[in-house]
Amino acid sequence: MNRLVKLEWLKIRSNATFWVLVGLHVGIVLLVVLSGNIFISSLSIDGNSLKNLADTTNIPIYQFPDIWHNITYVAGFLKFILAIYMIISITNEVTFDTLRQNIMNGLTRVDFIISKLVLILMLAAGSTLFIFVTGFTVGLINTDHPGLHEMITYSGFIPAYFLQLFTYLIFAFLIGLLIKRTGLAMGLMFLYTLIIEPIIALRLNADVVKGLLPMRSINNLIHMPFGTYLLREIQDYVSFREIVIVLIYTALFIFLIYILLKNRDLK
Amino acid sequence: MPILKYENLNNVVTTHLLTKHYGRIKAVDELTFSIPEKSIFGLLGPNGSGKTTTLAILLDVVRPTSGSYSWFGNYSKRENRQKIGSILETPSFYPYLTATDNLKIIAEIKAIGYENINEVLKITGIFDRRHSTYRTYSLGMKQRLALAAALLCDPPVMILDEPTNGLDPRGIAEIRNLIRTIALQGKTIILASHLLDEVQKVCSHFAVLNKGRLLYSGLVNEVAGNEQRIEISCGNMDQLYNVLGNYPDKRDLEISGDKVIITLPADSPIAQLSSFIYQHGIIPTHLVSLYRSLETQFLDILNESK
Repeated sequence: MNRLVKLEWLKIRSNATFWVLVGLHVGIVLLVVLSGNIFISSLSIDGNSLKNLADTTNIPIYQFPDIWHNITYVAGFLKFILAIYMIISITNEVTFDTLRQNIMNGLTRVDFIISKLVLILMLAAGSTLFIFVTGFTVGLINTDHPGLHEMITYSGFIPAYFLQLFTYLIFAFLIGLLIKRTGLAMGLMFLYTLIIEPIIALRLNADVVKGLLPMRSINNLIHMPFGTYLLREIQDYVSFREIVIVLIYTALFIFLIYILLKNRDLK
Repeated sequence: MPILKYENLNNVVTTHLLTKHYGRIKAVDELTFSIPEKSIFGLLGPNGSGKTTTLAILLDVVRPTSGSYSWFGNYSKRENRQKIGSILETPSFYPYLTATDNLKIIAEIKAIGYENINEVLKITGIFDRRHSTYRTYSLGMKQRLALAAALLCDPPVMILDEPTNGLDPRGIAEIRNLIRTIALQGKTIILASHLLDEVQKVCSHFAVLNKGRLLYSGLVNEVAGNEQRIEISCGNMDQLYNVLGNYPDKRDLEISGDKVIITLPADSPIAQLSSFIYQHGIIPTHLVSLYRSLETQFLDILNESK
């Protein structure tokens, strides 16, 4: 296991693409998180800007405990940046024939899958830690006399963010392995996430069934938080049922990756 | 080069009815063969005869349709591949990494340390460029890095598929010498090539594949058979021809261009022939022993199979 971690680290250590995308992820997350005021001014009720209806300076988007829900929800939109790297990592192994060479040198196909899962784990854990530190710092700065209770409430969204990212990156792994070509794989990933699945969702009537679609269920781990500021009811917890659905997808994706690689001729 | 006999040795790999179909095409068709330990085994065949596919199956990269193989009597376990240094067709490395980093990755996969890295880079002559990224390498340097990678774990078995592809004549000679040197260390080398000359110069054993079938398998030295041919020329060719006509060991005599070719039993000493010529007052200007080339043999085997 240690060997596989080292192996993956050697592969990414001097890879410019990796560091550029990680930097982009960090930069864009910070940018978006710190533009909350712009976002608030865009909120409106029935066409009337919220700013005209109430004093928006007191909306606690940056305060404990709301910060956890808000930051993980927003960061969830940016998981595609890391998914792009994941696809590049997989399609490169295929196009450079290094996957084949790895196997010839004595890696098993299962080892290869585990080494990439290790990469996914590192990416997801790293990003989660970054979100946690950012959220905690922002929360501390903006909350007057935060109590422990306030800090902990809603912090369950942090592991939910981890699971969301982890599963989405495994989805990217699967797409990369299936399509083999970098551009095509990225195109398909975006096409599916942004167009194909939403269209399927539109044609399904019951919300229960919609919630079973893979992208929808991954996103459902963290429901939209901002309705609360418009005095609407929101789901401010991570539901057990939704976690189970996502875990089933995680297992399914890994299983498909295994089947795909097990029978493939790497020539 | 040590020439070793089949029967005294263990086999590093044996296959049993190994078969690979791509749709209707039989790339490998019921191959059963074994490769003796410490041999330099040449795998010959025209392009598309199934050489690379066979090696790819033995390296677990391609799944056989049916049949089986076993390395070191140990089937297809991963540990076997960790003990094999291999090049299959083109060199494959991470283009954005340096030679050293690429070799570190291989060392991790083979579960060995980094101690050998500098040494194999020196042996293959790319040590000075070890900190350049792979993408800046010429084809020759890429081949050398591939060879360095194959040597990295000091493997008892090496599989080299067209290892001199893309090299200049000097590089080819260097790689051949390297292969011979490695073989002297008691390693088994499996060399796939369509360059017959290469196999004849380097190998002890060879096998011929065509359309996925095994046509022949034997020792390279046996190719010469029980005869030897010697090419001679001198100032007075008529006299030479007449004199050689009376040579006791003569089996056949022919004129080829401005030279005479005499066929003798394999054990007839050439010294005896040349002193015989001198005794008749002829000074040869040219006297060369002609081996029956692998090429002739190879073409015969291919023709017989039709």
